[in-house]
Amino acid sequence: MRNRIAVLILGVRQSRLCRLLCGKAQPFPPGGQQQKKNIAFSFGWFPESRRVSAQQAAKPRHPSRTVGPRFFHTFLALVSFGAVAPGLLVAQGLTPEKLLQPSPDTWPTYNGDYSGRRFSTLDQINSGNVSSLTLAWAFHARTASIKSTPLEVNGILYLTTPDNVWAIDARFGHEIWHYRRVSQGDHIGHRGVGMYGDWLYFTTPDAHLVSLNAKDGSKRWEIELADPKLGYFSTMSPLVVRNHVLVGVSGDVTDIPGFLDSVEPETGKVQWRWYTEPRPGEPGSETWPKNSDAIRHGGGMTWMTGTYDPKLNLVYWGTGNPNPVLAGQARPGDNLYTCSIVALNADTGKLEWHFQPSPHDVHDWDAVETPVLFDAEFDGKPRNLLAQASRNGFFFVLDRTNGQHLVTTPFIDQTWASGVDERGRPVRKPEYDPRPDGALVEPASDGATNWMSPSFSPATGLFYVNARRTFSIFYLTSTGKAEGWAGRDRDLWVNSTIRALDYRTGKVVWSHEIGDGEGGAGIMTTAGHLLFTGDTQGNLLALNPSTGETLWHLNAGAQMLNCPMTYELDGRQYVLMAADDTLYAFALPASRGE
Amino acid sequence: MTIVLIPSSRGRLGRAATLIAAAAVFAPVVVAQSPPREVIERGHQQFQQSCGFCHGADATGGRGPDLVRSTLVAHDVNSNLIGEIIRSGRPDKGMPPLPLTRAQVADIAAYLHARAREALDSGQVPGNYPLSRLLTGNAQAGKAYFNGAGGCAACHSPTGDLAHVARRYAPLELEAHMLAPSHRPATVIVTLPEGEQVKGTLVHLDEFTIGLGDASGWYRSFSRENAKVDVQDPLAAHHELLNRLSQDEVHNLFAYLVTLK
Repeated sequence: MRNRIAVLILGVRQSRLCRLLCGKAQPFPPGGQQQKKNIAFSFGWFPESRRVSAQQAAKPRHPSRTVGPRFFHTFLALVSFGAVAPGLLVAQGLTPEKLLQPSPDTWPTYNGDYSGRRFSTLDQINSGNVSSLTLAWAFHARTASIKSTPLEVNGILYLTTPDNVWAIDARFGHEIWHYRRVSQGDHIGHRGVGMYGDWLYFTTPDAHLVSLNAKDGSKRWEIELADPKLGYFSTMSPLVVRNHVLVGVSGDVTDIPGFLDSVEPETGKVQWRWYTEPRPGEPGSETWPKNSDAIRHGGGMTWMTGTYDPKLNLVYWGTGNPNPVLAGQARPGDNLYTCSIVALNADTGKLEWHFQPSPHDVHDWDAVETPVLFDAEFDGKPRNLLAQASRNGFFFVLDRTNGQHLVTTPFIDQTWASGVDERGRPVRKPEYDPRPDGALVEPASDGATNWMSPSFSPATGLFYVNARRTFSIFYLTSTGKAEGWAGRDRDLWVNSTIRALDYRTGKVVWSHEIGDGEGGAGIMTTAGHLLFTGDTQGNLLALNPSTGETLWHLNAGAQMLNCPMTYELDGRQYVLMAADDTLYAFALPASRGE
Repeated sequence: MTIVLIPSSRGRLGRAATLIAAAAVFAPVVVAQSPPREVIERGHQQFQQSCGFCHGADATGGRGPDLVRSTLVAHDVNSNLIGEIIRSGRPDKGMPPLPLTRAQVADIAAYLHARAREALDSGQVPGNYPLSRLLTGNAQAGKAYFNGAGGCAACHSPTGDLAHVARRYAPLELEAHMLAPSHRPATVIVTLPEGEQVKGTLVHLDEFTIGLGDASGWYRSFSRENAKVDVQDPLAAHHELLNRLSQDEVHNLFAYLVTLK
């Protein structure tokens, strides 16, 4: 109801405005297609409150002929001076070129940009004024906990939970459209959509990839990535690189191979597929047992969004645990390329190099945490670096041009590794492997960290991670041939921190306690000298990234389980964080009269 | 009044996280209702007789493929696909047709689906996990650790709070409680700026606020900005112990507790 009232008022305004100013260039020809819902549709065309009602709006005949808000402002200004013919409207949308250098009024990919740093150059909200941060609006998803990072393009947010996508007015928080596709399969969480041009890419619990029209949420096409009956599902936010939609899969309850697909954005055709396990005989296959079906059932899911270096044209992706999960005896060897960071050619999917944070993992320590890219000095030389704080409790720094290992340091207590080998990989203590009578291990299978985003701030030179002390006891229960998990660990005690690491050494510069229980919030840093995250008790936090001191907090009533993001529209910076199923937008108080 | 304790990983928020983690393991593939145990057992017998020679007595493969991981079994509904293969065989792969009745085929299919379910459920340690698999430690060494290096005897007694403890819990639960006992209320003393002290049972604690049940049973809360908070957590020693217990010490201590019947 709230939406509809707003729509009617604004819709009338918009309609008149459009007729007055746009003339025959009015983008919505009469007699357009039927709308899905009796709600407002907001298009990239219209800045701010200028919207059309569902009754008045129809899809443009030429979807590519849309322009962004800035263009529209300019257009309005020029039209009022009689300087521009309406025919000058040109194609826009989120082109791959725009993803190379996202403007601060957008957050167009899962991590905001290709580097995965989750560092924003916005500084309107800063350490000097964050204490006056206030709620701009809230959006209730009412379906499941929000674990996704919304995208924001042209004033519209795209938010997901499993089975659901919403387009939301990024200024005022109103729902524009809601796409729902109920399916069977794992509903553990969802990370968000990817976007190319005017199209969204949405992964589903039954391992499908759906392309939606970003204007109205209508479906363009849908493909099956993998057979859901075998235990595949997908939760990740696809990464758009050039003309590739990179999409990964989940599912380690059954023993199935992981892979990463590159999908053609217009048609849904698979361009290339990289399998986590090599084929028998290929390099890496020697890390699996011979004369066994283990390599064909080896797991290694690709369930988090990777990063991209446009200069090297390399995509960096983390892979998940091998299968059977806890039963290493079923798969002697390092089990490449599970629990690995891999560098793939974006156009061919060819493996350029790899590094394995957990060789022969038996604790479910996926190495899918964001491989963060930054250029910085190392040992006195400028280097192209890649850093990962991995679920196994170790922080790794690599040279991302060739995978050369530079740093391996635990970022929190761990009990399972006796040291680091000559290739920079932690060395497992065998007695800490799962066993029938139970092995007490830190960290637990949920990990010293997990999917919650880390951040790297070029302003402080520090790497930030949600780091947990988690103890559990791992039971290997299988007798006979191990299949599936083949056991499980039991959580004993968890307590969490936000930590700042010196990327040159991995040493902890500061640690901020966020309470007992598993931290589930991602981290974002900004040029306003702020770090945004949440604690385990339902508080949203802004910290000083140099010291870890709390500068602002709010009891949001539920634990934050997504990753913060930010954008600036009409001169106002918004910071978005979700607590359970509610998305909150924060901003500085709007001055009166605005 | 009842004071609900929410301070730790099994609290409101932690439990949500645990459920989320559990969902990851137990919910991915939707399977039909399980048939009665005797049908599955009958299917197992029939499978061993007719199929086990090639596919292994437990269907995990041999000369023939592993059927627990089989795509065909995953797609089978009411033995429509499995039945077809059994009746027609796969001559190209050396599998002969088998002259089984419809009922025998249905039993085999029930068994194969049960095996696939077992693999799916293998990420759960059963509550009746046998003591014999857990009992690998040395009870004497455990007793020595209890009274010595472990420091357990400072708070616990085999004839006091731990008398008959092995009778109170299933073996798996006993081990878990030994390492991380159920929540004991932490006590807290809040010292206010004027010097007044409020003592009670901890209800909520975060970076900014403290909530407690005071001696009269009423809930009281304070901002931590101007209050000094001193929490005495009876489980602190257990958390500290997790950091230094070796695997042998875990199993020896457990073996000792098992003797407290």
